[in-house]
Amino acid sequence: MNEVIIIGGGPAGSVMGCYLSMAGIKNVLLEANNHPRAHVGESMVTSSTRVYEEIGFLPTMEKEGFVHKHGASWHDLNGKEAAIWFNEFHQEGINQPYTYHVDRSRLDLLLLKHAQSMGTEVIQGVTVRQVLFDEQGYANGVRAKIADQEIDLHSKLVIDASGRNTIIGRQLGTKKKDPIFNQYAVHAWFENVTRGTEETSEFIHIYFLPVERGWVWQIPINDHITSIGVVAEKEVFQQSKGDVTAYFDKYVHSNPALETAMADAVRINDFKTEGDYSYSMDKFVGDGYMLIGDAARFVDPIFSSGVSIALYSAKYGSQYIQKALEANDFSEAILKPYEVKMRAGVSVWYEFIRLYYKLLPLFTHFIQSKKYRIEVLRLLQGEVYDRQEVAVLAAMREYIETVEKTENHIFRSKLTSIPIDDLPGFSVEEVSKVEKPAA
Amino acid sequence: MSTQEVLGSFILDELAKGRKGKISPQDDLLGEGIIDSLGILQLVAFIEERFNLAIADEDVVIENFQSVDALSTYVDNHLA
Repeated sequence: MNEVIIIGGGPAGSVMGCYLSMAGIKNVLLEANNHPRAHVGESMVTSSTRVYEEIGFLPTMEKEGFVHKHGASWHDLNGKEAAIWFNEFHQEGINQPYTYHVDRSRLDLLLLKHAQSMGTEVIQGVTVRQVLFDEQGYANGVRAKIADQEIDLHSKLVIDASGRNTIIGRQLGTKKKDPIFNQYAVHAWFENVTRGTEETSEFIHIYFLPVERGWVWQIPINDHITSIGVVAEKEVFQQSKGDVTAYFDKYVHSNPALETAMADAVRINDFKTEGDYSYSMDKFVGDGYMLIGDAARFVDPIFSSGVSIALYSAKYGSQYIQKALEANDFSEAILKPYEVKMRAGVSVWYEFIRLYYKLLPLFTHFIQSKKYRIEVLRLLQGEVYDRQEVAVLAAMREYIETVEKTENHIFRSKLTSIPIDDLPGFSVEEVSKVEKPAA
Repeated sequence: MSTQEVLGSFILDELAKGRKGKISPQDDLLGEGIIDSLGILQLVAFIEERFNLAIADEDVVIENFQSVDALSTYVDNHLA
């Protein structure tokens, strides 16, 4: 009998498979597609490197020749640019001052194969229809469709790594839309994009748009292909009335630096639209099950944190799964510390994202200030799981409060309508009660 | 150089890109689009560095940044 069934073979599922296999835990991974398959989310933060190293995947990343990402650059509406280099802050245990941009169809396939090579039984072309529960309410398997057949597979634990399909969240009705964010992204691949100076051409570039929470990503996929994505609030996207090409063009032309970068660009694939991607499940664990990666929560792609969160959720999750198997206890209680840890980390990102969108000039200010630059960089490197460690968030919030209170503050008109009151439903005190798992 | 001259040159050389000619002490910096909000931040950073002065967040108001004159007055008042 399998100990663990993993639903989904994206980065979260594959990396979970790796950690479980490394711990000698028998696991089966069920993937609906047959890889390779395309996927959004093409840039990473540097903290991902630690996980790749732990699972022995870093040499593969290097061998594949994924583009090295040494930093990030922001372009405002007046053509001014602010940039950061990852090498400005050394991260313990990470020996390279860069991370990667990737063609996800290649990365995800390689990770899946890596999990397989480590001992995970990978089965593709299998769609999980529902998670099965026993009479005590414990998840104990899945009902899956293989070609025309439906079969039931059983295990002691079920891990939902189904990404934005959010299988368990939908089945149990625990999925909640984000109260603040409701963004849409339209993206495609282009050739002949003028990416930047010699130093910054392989950075991720973010261009501000003249609409609230609007921005564009520029991610180099390889030597000649660049991914460009226009992100804006759903209402703005809906004004396009279905003419995606015109919508995309309009916003490309609304930022001068972007317009220049795209002057000779040629699109080489179809536009894809991503929406309804800001949500959270009420629970990340239950009796017999655990949610990891996007299946648990996704916030916003602005800081490229998605893949990193997926990887860390797999890493931390695997530690609690090990405990559960050792204790032969698969209850929600024994898995709960994983949820507390992940919510703490995601809430740091969430706060950072909200403060960022609240007052855009503030962000470039904090990057340029000697005092806070390094702390912002640490956040951008994806290092922080403990809110108490992040003084810069408190400083950003204070700054915004000053702007709000000061009558003729120059930035008053730049404030957006995002609420920045205390984060709902989660207290920092809970984090310190959780025993820290092995690093 | 006087405070006014220091500020004036910085604004002209670094922030008011594309503007021809001088900036008079009374010119409305924001109103005339000589500098934008990102420019304000660069200006604040420059003043803090150059004059070794911490500018309180509450002081980043239109009155103080209205013109080179207004800004010099603010800086001189706080240098003491």
